[in-house]
Amino acid sequence: MSEKQVLSLGNRAESRKDRVIAAIARRTDQRAIILLLVVCVVALFVDTTVFTAYGATLSFIALTGLLALGLTAVILMGELDLSIASILAVSGVVMASFDNVAIGIVVALAMGIVVGIINAFMVVKIGINSFIATLGTLFALQGIAFVVSNEEPVRIGDSQEDIEAGLAFGDELIGPFTPRVLLFILAFVLIHLFVSRMRAGREFYAVGGNRQAARDAGIPVNRRVFTGFMISGFVAALGGVINTLELTTADPTAGGTLLLASFAAAIVGGNLLKGGRGSIFGTMIGVFALGIMTVLLKFQGVQVDIQQIFIGGVLLLAVITDPASVRDVAQRVRVLFTEFNKTASASRPE
Amino acid sequence: MSAAHKREKGRNMRINRKSMMAAGLAATAALVLSACAADSEEEPVAEEGAGEEEAMEESWTVHALLPQGTDQPYGGTYLPPMQEAAEANNIELTLYNSGYDGAQQSSDCEIAVAAQPDLIILWPAVGDAVTPCLQAANDAGIPVTVTNSDVPAEVQDLTAAYTGPDTYGQGVASAEIMCDIVGDEEVGILQVNGATGNSTAIDRRAGFQDTVAANCPNVTILQEEPGDWGAAPSQEAVADMLTAVGPENVDGIYAADDTMVAGAIDALKAQGIDPAPLYITSIGNTELGNPLVLNGELDGTVFQSSSWDGENAINMAVQVLNGEIPEDRALFMPDVKVTAENADDPAVAPEW
Repeated sequence: MSEKQVLSLGNRAESRKDRVIAAIARRTDQRAIILLLVVCVVALFVDTTVFTAYGATLSFIALTGLLALGLTAVILMGELDLSIASILAVSGVVMASFDNVAIGIVVALAMGIVVGIINAFMVVKIGINSFIATLGTLFALQGIAFVVSNEEPVRIGDSQEDIEAGLAFGDELIGPFTPRVLLFILAFVLIHLFVSRMRAGREFYAVGGNRQAARDAGIPVNRRVFTGFMISGFVAALGGVINTLELTTADPTAGGTLLLASFAAAIVGGNLLKGGRGSIFGTMIGVFALGIMTVLLKFQGVQVDIQQIFIGGVLLLAVITDPASVRDVAQRVRVLFTEFNKTASASRPE
Repeated sequence: MSAAHKREKGRNMRINRKSMMAAGLAATAALVLSACAADSEEEPVAEEGAGEEEAMEESWTVHALLPQGTDQPYGGTYLPPMQEAAEANNIELTLYNSGYDGAQQSSDCEIAVAAQPDLIILWPAVGDAVTPCLQAANDAGIPVTVTNSDVPAEVQDLTAAYTGPDTYGQGVASAEIMCDIVGDEEVGILQVNGATGNSTAIDRRAGFQDTVAANCPNVTILQEEPGDWGAAPSQEAVADMLTAVGPENVDGIYAADDTMVAGAIDALKAQGIDPAPLYITSIGNTELGNPLVLNGELDGTVFQSSSWDGENAINMAVQVLNGEIPEDRALFMPDVKVTAENADDPAVAPEW
């Protein structure tokens, strides 16, 4: 018995190393980390303004990042939420429609949660694919934003004080951080803790990995899907509120460029669109990597279409270099070689 | 405060800010620190050393915040003259394209202000949303000139000048053509607007509707929809409106630009309606619109020269950079009406 224990201790020392290696191998965000390092090193050599003007860089990253964080909560369960950009637009318009800004903010945030519930209801209760369900809400909310705003940008509040308060919202609050950046960091911490430390959050992975198995294990799958969509909706609405306050105007067309950028960040961050694999931390790294790269390209005066080629290239690289894809390709190559060798030896004259 | 004083103040602020930022970064990353410290320490020396050379041949850095680029026909012909003018005036020009997303342009503006250029040229994506950008540039001592679409009146004092079309006036000119050709006849027309929320779209709509109401109230706008500056969305919008109001009630169409009027005419043809007898006007006199005027399908359009627009954005920037405050804040592009009578005149040859 004791010998067994000694042996197991020896094994444990060895297996700890294995476990570390396995833990690193299990991480889904290595590619994002490598990309971030590469981008930072390039930026150091090319143009350090990306770092010295970190306020602008962080601000650029924060809005896309906020949407990407909420989106990740849904992606982890193997679902998609295409409505986030429209939630951002409509929440801003709804908020600006109230003379009292505080009431407007509360209503806008509540609306984000309600849209999340509607999305989840369609996915869970009616059984509509989340891509189609949220595509529907994307269009519906876009229309609502136009109707509510009378197809024009809507100024916040009813006084010059409200406008000035909105402008002040874009000022630095703690150190170099504006409220936008602070709320982004807060959202990251809360969602990360929820997904990694709380049981309900950890169950997102089980729901995304194998929904039936999760159900069999007693996980309330439907409730988790509802939670995920509510987080996504709330965070998108928060983005709309921040955007509207900073611009002092709600733009019914806002968010057009944010949807794909936030998906790109989540994918580059190592989140598997099929669900079950990924992390909020990975998304954060993905957001920073793509954000710093974009800001660097902007500082260099690179045209938008060329910027998109860079982002598209990085996205493809992230997908192609996914360990699972690489393993699949390696396996296929091995099979191909084995078959080729068999054929070659069979055709060789004895 | 003169523009030169503002620039000097801005430069001092920039140097201070750089030092502070470098110090902050020292606490977080040694690698970044070394690069930043070198950057922030070396730059002022380089600027001082280059003082005499600069005096001999002054060069500037200008960031242009645009909502479109070569991805749009107008931007495609606006940019080359702008870039040529920039080169001729020793301006290092950095271009941004927000794709008509106000939030994106706001982020672009923060980046542009952080880059501390000598001047920012702004073409607002969403007119009402530019206040924070203008405020930030003003705080940093960076002068801003506006191109193509002006900013709202209440924030115009944060800008040095405007060059470009009189977007409201273009709507007026197109309405005047409509009123002229309609005469006293009672007619019903459809209206196709530009992208929702876009300041040019809002101004042209207002200019057209105000003028119609004042000059020819016998023209009734039966229905209006956005055509998003594109032929396909416009065609779809007109097809929907024809169905809604009944083709027999439609005597004409106003579209806020030639690309959209081409889509509108296609929608008429798709329903078997000959556009020639209808009263149709638009704005642009583009390579798409001018032939429509010549073949009689489009009764009139208003010439908008993209090359004038791009070139004068730089010319005005140079004027401001040289400390010459323009007497009139706005330099408007002439609104030339183009009808069958002058459509083949080389002076109004389409550019885009």
